[in-house]
Amino acid sequence: MELTIVLTIAAILFGIGIYGVLGQTNLVMIMMGVELMLGAAMLNLVAFWRFMHPQTFSLQMFVLVIMTVMALEAAVGFGIATQRFRSKGSVESEEASDLKG
Amino acid sequence: MSTTALILLIFFGLVAIWFGWRVFMTSSMVRSALSLLASMAAIGAMFLAMEAEFLGILQIMMMATEMSIMAIFMTMFMMDPGGMGGMDMSHQKIPSIGGGMIVGALVVCIAAFTAWGNMALEVPLPDKQNYDLGMELMKRSMMIFESAGTTILVAMIAAVSTALPYKSDIDGN
Repeated sequence: MELTIVLTIAAILFGIGIYGVLGQTNLVMIMMGVELMLGAAMLNLVAFWRFMHPQTFSLQMFVLVIMTVMALEAAVGFGIATQRFRSKGSVESEEASDLKG
Repeated sequence: MSTTALILLIFFGLVAIWFGWRVFMTSSMVRSALSLLASMAAIGAMFLAMEAEFLGILQIMMMATEMSIMAIFMTMFMMDPGGMGGMDMSHQKIPSIGGGMIVGALVVCIAAFTAWGNMALEVPLPDKQNYDLGMELMKRSMMIFESAGTTILVAMIAAVSTALPYKSDIDGN
């Protein structure tokens, strides 16, 4: 019961994250969508740890790895955004069609 | 799980969803970043309600700094940071709303219709949890933890070298 509640909340957050990634035009907003999706993944892991395997700490370790991924995604994303803004003056995904075939 | 903990869990879950939704529904960028901060802090509070104290505090502290930095970057890079111009910052609305709803509904169905088996009633006390997590990090999962550290170093170098100006930009050519 409790596990299902938490998984449902995480699923809704994941859905909102997908909407953000697909529907937003700005690179920073797209990154916010990715952060929401990763947050939902962390929520799932903590719920599985709490309600199914409280003695297994690999799950908590995996949450730490996902937190690392969130920080890295933000760092590299902002690096790309800075370079993009410097060379093109905008971070809009609509205008980033340089590699379009 | 006690009733109070369950009520707190549901309450903070609703708070996380509400602020997660507000992130994409407001046109002010600072509000958007602060909504994401509130959503992530609510997820941290859910960790606390699920008795993962260390991870909950870590989540709140990390996200507070990360989202504050994100707010600065957003006001730097957005064309309409204050949201006063009423610009529409979204595209392909129907496919993205449809995609989000279909994936969300699918995952909810998986969560609802899977037989998860017996739930664990007791968790170790916080000091025991920290001890066991430390043992896990320094013994069985040490290689993974070390790889995460190396990845942070690589990403730091990659982010800085990506953001540096090209030589031609400096020369003005």
